[in-house]
Amino acid sequence: MTKRIWNQCLKEWAQFRRDRLTVALAFLLPLAVLLIFGYAIRLETNNIPLAVQDFDRSPLSRAYIERIFATNKFQPTAWAGNDPLENAIDPGVAKAAVIIPPDFSRQVQADQPSPVQVLVDGSDVNNARVIENSIRATTQFFLSSSGLQPGSPRVATQTRLWFNPGLKEALYIVPGTYAVTLWIFPSMLSSLAMVREKERNTIVQVYASDLSAAEFLLGKGLAYLAIAIGQALVVMGVGTILFGVWFAGDPTPLLVGTPIFLANSILFGLFVGSRAGNISGAIQGVAILGFLTALLLSGFIYPLSNIPFPLSVLTYIIPTRYYIEITRDAFVRGAGWAGVWLFLLALIVLGFLLFNATRRVLSHMQLPD
Amino acid sequence: MAIVPPLLPLLLLSLSSPMFTQLFNRFLGSRFWALVVKEINQILKNRQLLFLLIFPPTIQLLIFGSSLDPQVQNLKLGIVDYANTSVTRELVSALSENQIFVADNYSFSEQALANQVEQGKITAGLVIPPDFNRQLQQGQTAEVQVLIDGVNANTASIAQGYITQIVRNYSSNLEVNATPPLVNPQVTFLYNPGLASSWFFVPGVIGLVLTLTGSLVSSATVVREKDTGTLEQLLMTPAAAWEILSAKIAPLFLLLMGDVLLALGIARLIFGVPFRGSWAFFLATSALYVFVGIGVGILLATISKNQQQVVLTSFFINIPVIQLSGAIAPIESMPTFFQYLSLLDPLRHYIAISRSVLLKGVGWEALGLNVLALGAIAILLLTISIKQFRTQLN
Repeated sequence: MTKRIWNQCLKEWAQFRRDRLTVALAFLLPLAVLLIFGYAIRLETNNIPLAVQDFDRSPLSRAYIERIFATNKFQPTAWAGNDPLENAIDPGVAKAAVIIPPDFSRQVQADQPSPVQVLVDGSDVNNARVIENSIRATTQFFLSSSGLQPGSPRVATQTRLWFNPGLKEALYIVPGTYAVTLWIFPSMLSSLAMVREKERNTIVQVYASDLSAAEFLLGKGLAYLAIAIGQALVVMGVGTILFGVWFAGDPTPLLVGTPIFLANSILFGLFVGSRAGNISGAIQGVAILGFLTALLLSGFIYPLSNIPFPLSVLTYIIPTRYYIEITRDAFVRGAGWAGVWLFLLALIVLGFLLFNATRRVLSHMQLPD
Repeated sequence: MAIVPPLLPLLLLSLSSPMFTQLFNRFLGSRFWALVVKEINQILKNRQLLFLLIFPPTIQLLIFGSSLDPQVQNLKLGIVDYANTSVTRELVSALSENQIFVADNYSFSEQALANQVEQGKITAGLVIPPDFNRQLQQGQTAEVQVLIDGVNANTASIAQGYITQIVRNYSSNLEVNATPPLVNPQVTFLYNPGLASSWFFVPGVIGLVLTLTGSLVSSATVVREKDTGTLEQLLMTPAAAWEILSAKIAPLFLLLMGDVLLALGIARLIFGVPFRGSWAFFLATSALYVFVGIGVGILLATISKNQQQVVLTSFFINIPVIQLSGAIAPIESMPTFFQYLSLLDPLRHYIAISRSVLLKGVGWEALGLNVLALGAIAILLLTISIKQFRTQLN
């Protein structure tokens, strides 16, 4: 039995190697995706365009405005007209506007609170909150640093940021990109390999032979596992060099978890390939089902806890979700086995389910012995 | 409305005039019309194509629309309260008051808290020292320690801002003769006062869905003729290349405009996204974008040998197009190089338009540049694809 699996694997390997274009694409496309995702996905915005309307025009109001722009969060925006809403925010020239009332400095110097109006473009939810928070924090800082309202606070916070003290976003995005890339491409290759057998009808020969569905799958899967491990080495190697992401702790959970995750990906591809009628159906299946879920339901960009109820149940069967936890732990957290053993277990269970589902599809076609 | 009554009889008159009937009959008898009828028949017979026009866009809108949510909320907060008095409990409830933090995890030592942060069980931790009350009573500044899991840098920095603010408010409430802050920013969120994430993302996803569906469906109709060899037969007929191509484009265009309405319907009915701008402007720019999608699809079909290549290349063109468009993550936070690169992305311009029309209710005056860019890209793509299609014929 081992011999038959091995032979199937060798046959698959030879077939893959012969197709030069696929070999090249198998390694170049993951790199392209790594570059695009790794460099272009950022959530923290600096230099947000801000319009200022200063009715006071006093040294105090100018000092306040200067303070706001001293943080690199905002960037002054030139706008013409007299209504910041209509002339700056509506056309999208500015994301926010600060309007300082005419009696700003008089009120402040008379120890009366002065309301400053802040208009925020709420259409971009993430930035809206960031703008609100930083205007409030800057105002507070302005009051205490300019001596207008000193007084030490009764309660102070001392904050420590764990794992990522510099809050580098690459540390969050790049390990996630590994997971998404290594989900799409191995599954795409294996689904193509499977559906090709169907399109060329060579699958009938397999059905007719005494090769069992499990042996056939293991042989095919093993060859593609070797290729996928190659892809993982290339993607993570280049990622390490470009983004400077390195192991934060014990690397063994990642070393064990990666082949298991890749096996999941390949089995998913084989499953889609075994169900799809033709090549374009298989690619669409992998692209829509696999890529979409890996991108959106895995916690890759936005927190998983924000996904609403019926959809949130679906996330539990997305292998990428668990592997992202493993890569983030390996490269950022460094908690090791204690933090991730459950995720590895989930991957093993999902892989087993996928294997069985695919084997079922194939054995239905198999001739009984 | 006032011009309608005089126009209507005029229209009816012209419809019945012999010149118009003649023109109409000539159109119905033309080669172009025959080709359009053939295309419509083919599309209606092709179940897979109709399926592609309805099912994936709906699913994509629903999944993208509800899963893209960057809000910082319900973060798990672990607490070690060494002081454990009513004052500190007030601080904890102040932190968990507005659903940003959920205090569901009390530990008894800093070590246990640290372990929980490490294993990702909690996102933030608060340590209140034993002498918290004593310090407050003596008029000293009491210091609490906050641990934040920094893995998700964006969430962490927003969470940090919240904690600092909440503690500051709490602190000023402790003052006996508290003075309100002298400068008090009054923040108003425009267009989306409830800060609903879906309002931001769904208009972008409409564009994304049009990109995926438009390029896929239009490439499929062209490449199918190639696959089955009927393209050659079409080329042998006296019909000119432009007639063949525009007869293909016309029904596709109408179907994809149907997709625009479908997507808009889902946005309004399921996500409650408002529509504040002008319908005419939105439909006109959507039409422009549908042409972009068709142009991409035909180009893909002409450079590929078979359907497999089309699907594969469209997949790899769509990833950067979507990524750079701001549909998933905001453009403003991308590195400068990618921000410039995104100017070449038609989807970026369409998303800017649909977000602004739906949420802000602005039109040509604010979006003129985006419309021009979209128009230029549409013309460029259609010209290249028609040229490609022609050279293929020779």
